[in-house]
Amino acid sequence: MIRLENVTRLFDNVAAVDGFSLEVDQGEVCVLIGPSGCGKTTTLRLINRLVEPTSGTILVNGRDVSRTKAEVLRRSIGYAIQSVGLFPHMTVGANIGVVPGLLGWGKERISARVNELLELVGLEPRQYAPKYVSQLSGGEAQRVGVARALAADPPILLMDEPFGAVDPLTRQRLQVQFLRIQRKLKKTIILVTHDLDEAIRLADRIAVMQSGRLVQHDSPERILASPANKFVHDFVGVDRALKRLSRISVEEFIRPTPSVTTSATREELSAAIGGHRSVWVVDGDGRPIGWIDRASLRDPGQLNDITVRADPAEMYVTGSDTLHGALSRMLGLGFKSLPAVDDNGRLIGEITLGDIEKATARGENMDHV
Amino acid sequence: MFKRQGRRWIVLAVLTAVFVILLFQMGWWEAALRTIFSRDDVLYPTASLIALVGEHMKLVALSSGLTVLIGVPLGIWVTRRSGQSFLPIVTDLTSLGQTFPPVAVLALAVPLFGFGLVPTVIALFLYGLLPVVRNTVAGLASVSRETLEVAYGMGMGRLQALMLVELPLAVRVILAGVRISVIINVGTAMIGAVIGAGGLGSPIIAGLVQFNTAYVIEGALPAAVIAILLDRFLGNIEKSLAFSPGERNG
Repeated sequence: MIRLENVTRLFDNVAAVDGFSLEVDQGEVCVLIGPSGCGKTTTLRLINRLVEPTSGTILVNGRDVSRTKAEVLRRSIGYAIQSVGLFPHMTVGANIGVVPGLLGWGKERISARVNELLELVGLEPRQYAPKYVSQLSGGEAQRVGVARALAADPPILLMDEPFGAVDPLTRQRLQVQFLRIQRKLKKTIILVTHDLDEAIRLADRIAVMQSGRLVQHDSPERILASPANKFVHDFVGVDRALKRLSRISVEEFIRPTPSVTTSATREELSAAIGGHRSVWVVDGDGRPIGWIDRASLRDPGQLNDITVRADPAEMYVTGSDTLHGALSRMLGLGFKSLPAVDDNGRLIGEITLGDIEKATARGENMDHV
Repeated sequence: MFKRQGRRWIVLAVLTAVFVILLFQMGWWEAALRTIFSRDDVLYPTASLIALVGEHMKLVALSSGLTVLIGVPLGIWVTRRSGQSFLPIVTDLTSLGQTFPPVAVLALAVPLFGFGLVPTVIALFLYGLLPVVRNTVAGLASVSRETLEVAYGMGMGRLQALMLVELPLAVRVILAGVRISVIINVGTAMIGAVIGAGGLGSPIIAGLVQFNTAYVIEGALPAAVIAILLDRFLGNIEKSLAFSPGERNG
């Protein structure tokens, strides 16, 4: 889909990008990462011809980009940068409608598209379309930025730190949303970041750059497990085992677990707890509300009284959480297992510390592959 | 937010209407000036006040129109790639245009264009060019590089980026320049009277020559009011073009 062949770009005789070759497949998220000044942004801008290469070829869909008129090329490639990129003199709706407007779409088609995109990024169209950029929070502005890049439904998106200027919590939410949207739209995306966690979370493949050169181009798992050289090794850091966990979703580690309601009989409770140390307690709708320890079985009181209650929102995990998130929650709460719930908050199983340890060990073994 | 806007325009319209009505009431002027100066010949005899104001406005409109028509494109051109190398020269020349006294321009223009309207308009045009050009350049320069990059990155051509992004973002600064230029012109247009272009300068000069302060007042007062009204008018336009809602509610 996108191919850079031996591309070099000199600025005042210094190579910002140096003999760089990269191939990005259709529907793939490729994250360019590296320390500042490594040429990742320049590489991105070479693709939509905001920067012209000194030598080398860039192909999009097998076609040399230098043969397409720059404006025409750019209208077929979505481009999102940090929120500064939104036009302050236009409303949110007008901002999103810029490229469709350039492409000559009719007014109604544009406004329908604007509404569709605002809904896609989770902003209520009637409320947000007439707003000005200065009225948006950082997170909202960046969502609008993404919506704008998607406006003309381009097959390719170039994103330069699209989630850069927001707080970590918002950033994480945006990343989750990004993945959800990408699963639906399957765009070919090249994303630039200097945040390794972001790269690991979002990328199908990561391209690590160092002073204009490609050092390693591989899946996040492989990059973490077997860094190509000392630079990549140092870049991914000593906590790569932990980082790897943020690539693994909780889903495949959820194991079925018995549960009881507070109205269960003593016999049902004993049967449910079996050989375990504790059993989850759910309410009438199947939502976890706490647990009962084996030690409390001897307590003759009501089930309701021997139940240890906990804030469900704080303890449960869902299938889309990562092992990294599950682990940090376990450590925070001091639990050895957490209840897993479905989209409606109903208990579907649990995830245990032992399983996470096994997953970590499995990753470590990849070092020797 | 439109309510506030509307009120601004209504206030301006009422003030202007009052001013125009007063211009026709020569009797009132005469009476007022007579009580102040306690003499009989208080009104400039050659032309009615409304005619003087008309001439004056003609001078201002022609010269300011010319200033905007030439100054804004000039400012745009010197910020484009093709005209960039002319930026220093144009800034210097427009500065010269303003530091050069309009009276001197008149003196130089008369041998070329004769007396009357044309040399006056040329002098006023040159004199008012600087703020327009300088603010156009400053306004366009205030558009951030990132914003422009995004405009190009989205597939805008140079003209589209200028029309859709740069000018809308620069328009308030440009208009502020136009406002200054027009107000300066209202005052400076007085010199037109020296070479027979008429306007509110006529009674002032007559008053100075004949030691008749009443004449001077008859010319100066309406000019001051015109300056204030025009300033408000352009200020309202400037405010209505505010894109930021914060400022709009201001």
